[in-house]
Amino acid sequence: MFEWFDSDVLLQQLLLGLSNGMIIALIALGYTMVYGIIELINFAHGDLFMLGSFLALTLVGVAMNCGIVDPELMGASSHWWLLGTLVLVCGVFCGGLNLCIDHFAYKPLRRASKLSQLVAAIGVSFIIVNVGLFWGGLPMDILGGGGAAAAPKDFPHLVSDTNLLGEESFVVMTWNDVVIFVVTIPLMIALTLFVKFTKLGMAMRATAQHATAARLMGVDVNKVIAATFAIGGFLGGAASVLYANYNSTVSFQMGFRAGMDAFTAAVLGGIGSLPGAMLGGLLIGLVRAMSDQYVGSEWTNVVVFSLLVLILIFRPTGLLGLKQREKV
Amino acid sequence: MSAVPIIEVDGVTMRFGGLVAVNDVSLMVDQGSITAVIGPNGAGKTTLFNAITGVYDPSAGRVLIAGKETVVPLDAKAWWSFAVFGISSAFLAAVFLHAEGLWLHAVTENYEYLKPFPWMKGIMDAAAYVIAHGGWAALVGGILGAAGRFAIWSRTRRTPEIVAESGVARTFQNIRLFPELSLAENVMVGMDRRMRAGFCASLLRLPSASLERRHAREEAARLIEFVGLGTKIDALARSLPYGHQRRLEIARALASRPSVVLLDEPAAGMNPTETVELMELIRRIQSTRTTVVLIEHHMRVVMGISEKIAVLDHGEKIAQGNPTEIRNDPRCIEAYLGKEDLG
Amino acid sequence: MSQSPSTVHRPAGLLSRGQCILFGALLALPLLELVFDLGISAPTRFVLGFAIVGIGLNVVVGFTGLLHLGIAAFMAIGAYAFAILTCTIYPFQIGFWPGLLAALLIGAVAGAFLGAPTLRLRGDYLAIVTLGFGEIVQDLLKNLELITKGTQGINPLPTPWFFGATFASDTPKSWYFLYLGILLACTMLVRNLEHSRIGRQWFAVREDELAARCMAIRPDRVKLTALAVGAGLAAVGGALLASLISSTGEPGNYDFQISILALCIVIVGGIGSLTGVIVGALVMVGMNSILLPMLGQKLQQAGIGTTTSVYLAPDNYKYLLFGLALVLMMRFKPKGIVAAKEEDH
Repeated sequence: MFEWFDSDVLLQQLLLGLSNGMIIALIALGYTMVYGIIELINFAHGDLFMLGSFLALTLVGVAMNCGIVDPELMGASSHWWLLGTLVLVCGVFCGGLNLCIDHFAYKPLRRASKLSQLVAAIGVSFIIVNVGLFWGGLPMDILGGGGAAAAPKDFPHLVSDTNLLGEESFVVMTWNDVVIFVVTIPLMIALTLFVKFTKLGMAMRATAQHATAARLMGVDVNKVIAATFAIGGFLGGAASVLYANYNSTVSFQMGFRAGMDAFTAAVLGGIGSLPGAMLGGLLIGLVRAMSDQYVGSEWTNVVVFSLLVLILIFRPTGLLGLKQREKV
Repeated sequence: MSAVPIIEVDGVTMRFGGLVAVNDVSLMVDQGSITAVIGPNGAGKTTLFNAITGVYDPSAGRVLIAGKETVVPLDAKAWWSFAVFGISSAFLAAVFLHAEGLWLHAVTENYEYLKPFPWMKGIMDAAAYVIAHGGWAALVGGILGAAGRFAIWSRTRRTPEIVAESGVARTFQNIRLFPELSLAENVMVGMDRRMRAGFCASLLRLPSASLERRHAREEAARLIEFVGLGTKIDALARSLPYGHQRRLEIARALASRPSVVLLDEPAAGMNPTETVELMELIRRIQSTRTTVVLIEHHMRVVMGISEKIAVLDHGEKIAQGNPTEIRNDPRCIEAYLGKEDLG
Repeated sequence: MSQSPSTVHRPAGLLSRGQCILFGALLALPLLELVFDLGISAPTRFVLGFAIVGIGLNVVVGFTGLLHLGIAAFMAIGAYAFAILTCTIYPFQIGFWPGLLAALLIGAVAGAFLGAPTLRLRGDYLAIVTLGFGEIVQDLLKNLELITKGTQGINPLPTPWFFGATFASDTPKSWYFLYLGILLACTMLVRNLEHSRIGRQWFAVREDELAARCMAIRPDRVKLTALAVGAGLAAVGGALLASLISSTGEPGNYDFQISILALCIVIVGGIGSLTGVIVGALVMVGMNSILLPMLGQKLQQAGIGTTTSVYLAPDNYKYLLFGLALVLMMRFKPKGIVAAKEEDH
């Protein structure tokens, strides 16, 4: 009970929550953007995130095997360039993949019922999970940990894990924390500016308001949807590298959990709202960290779920969401 | 006929963000009359209908149906529902948060091998344990439950189903039938308000439910005949041509035996013959002592059958009167034809 | 989808023609085994259990148009309620049939409770709440170790009895007929609902909620009924499946994959069609519980071990098959194998 008053523990959990929250927020943006435009819960988004981290793991393995980086130095010194490249490469990979998914799975169903689209999205999610399972079974020792295909894989620290607050400090803050903020905050600012000020961003907002009206005004709605999927996927891919680096482990089933958290964050913030997703992500990260410490990690999912239900009862539009009316 | 107007719209305003779709409109509809609401596109006619039928909650003003406001009152029943939700969630919270202690105390300790479980004692022990230990959990759970019920209740005080329950039926501008249901079933959904068959009767196919269904089906057939759709009552609604779908919607609305029916552009997309039939139909509806309010653009229909006409423009009521008055009202002519045409 | 009651001028029969044929075939299956030794009536019992879950999910997804992604949670609730009330390591031991009834009621109440907060919200919220519920029920069952035995699962569970005869585990045929009988009863009762005022309300809410509300139908009550019926049937299915293997299994067995298996049953078979659901259960569970394990066995006998490579174990293609089933059905045959329209007579 006295842990409540231990400011070090509290500080540590706050830091953990903020770092994980930023990652959740980045994934949540992908959900909320797609939902805002075509009212589809892109169920495959979490699993896309998982594939991104597998690509990162493979690339790190390749780099280690080819002697580009020294396995001995992992965690000891920082490989900024490698991390930066991975964020870009995995981002582009996930963005492109998301684009393909939209093109082959969702686009033919655009006029079908929302239920059909959602079911298709779940189907895609399952296919990707299977791809992840097989990817994990690749006969390469470069996949850290090795072991069975389904087993979680170790992801090496790409940046130094020396404590920035000094060796004696109880609270541990490393470059791994810092790098999350260094990557996510500029991405979020860029996204906000993009949506606010560019022509494509304006087209996105118009489509989200009223797709038919936007089309009549000459907006190429299909292009806007494709761009949304690409951007959302990019953010998910970037998040996947940060997540793998921060939590040091990846598994083919982690997309589901991450997706749940991120979607809850999007709903919490108000689905369709970009600042809402960011705020929601941070809150979910903090709640999870606090619950892990003070309630017990085995109850964390229950706490987050209860929070979701309470939000839906008391503020169904989310914290920053706007009321939507059905068109009659 | 009583002097109370069947619908009284009292200073209703509908705001959507910055847009004022309906601005301080008042309107009286007399029982048994045919009233038309006309105005150019975007004048706020459909929004007014939506406000009357509870689809939208007016930003200001109120709507009275037969002199009564169709809002769920904060009465004993409402308080009762808060109490029930509060108590049951208090109970749930207390039980769940102390599940293991409860189990130990009430079940494990009462259990003797090879003896039947003493249910009464177990329940009493459980209750005693919850009362002794569950105080905080019950308090928090109870407050959340009651407050949650209150939050949902206050969001849904005036809803379409409550207005419909008080005898208002409507059709929609962009037809909203149940496309995958048959004609008869569409109409029978309309009758639902008057049907009584409950869950058990339906599950076990009790004679009462079967009988009610048979009567409903016969009545549906009559209504479909009444609106002039013949006898093909088992075709799917989506298979009907556009004009017939509008009539089926009217049949569905009439099926609830409403005291007033609101028709939103019933003649849209109809050819001249169908339009004449529609006018005939509306007169027949009136002859069954059902009040009719309609939005319509066809001036022949409006002028031909309405007793009273209200003209909306830019969300405001600019004129009201009988057809002759409206025809000669300069503001209406201006709203419809534009100013320069006057000269 | 359902042009149901009105297409017949006399009241709809107890079973449609398609259902009669289907049940006839299912009834004949064990008889066929007397001649040919197929050994499939035992695993087909799982198909029957899942068919009941599918019928429950079909009420929610097919009839009422609510996407429910956590049906496995109600199977778990049913299985655990049944186990705690009947297993010999617990004091209650109320027996097979009362246990089944209790599972039905507890499942139905839980289903209604869960849906209550989301009834007035957009449909997707129900999907996400049910999905989350599916996850936390596993956590709850794991965490309340004192009551549920945590990850061990509860066993042994009582075998059914019927008119004085108790069923032993080595007589799969008698189980088969009993489960077929329960499935038949569920089908008939749900069919009664489908063709009644309750069913009409479900359809109306599915087709156009706002129009239904303007006809004085209260969507929250209608949805609650559907959710309760669906969850109750899923709980019965869960209890029957648990009784079949004489254990609830660990809570982690009732995961998202099972919910999606149930969804696949409904969608592949024919959304909104009771006949379709049973066909879907035959196809999907047949693949999941009969075909894939058999294939794996054959592969192993052929010397291609399942331990050597992840790619050679047919079990590892499950996700892919489920996923492809959903995507391809939505794309090319959204109404399923047995479209609801053709189903009725």
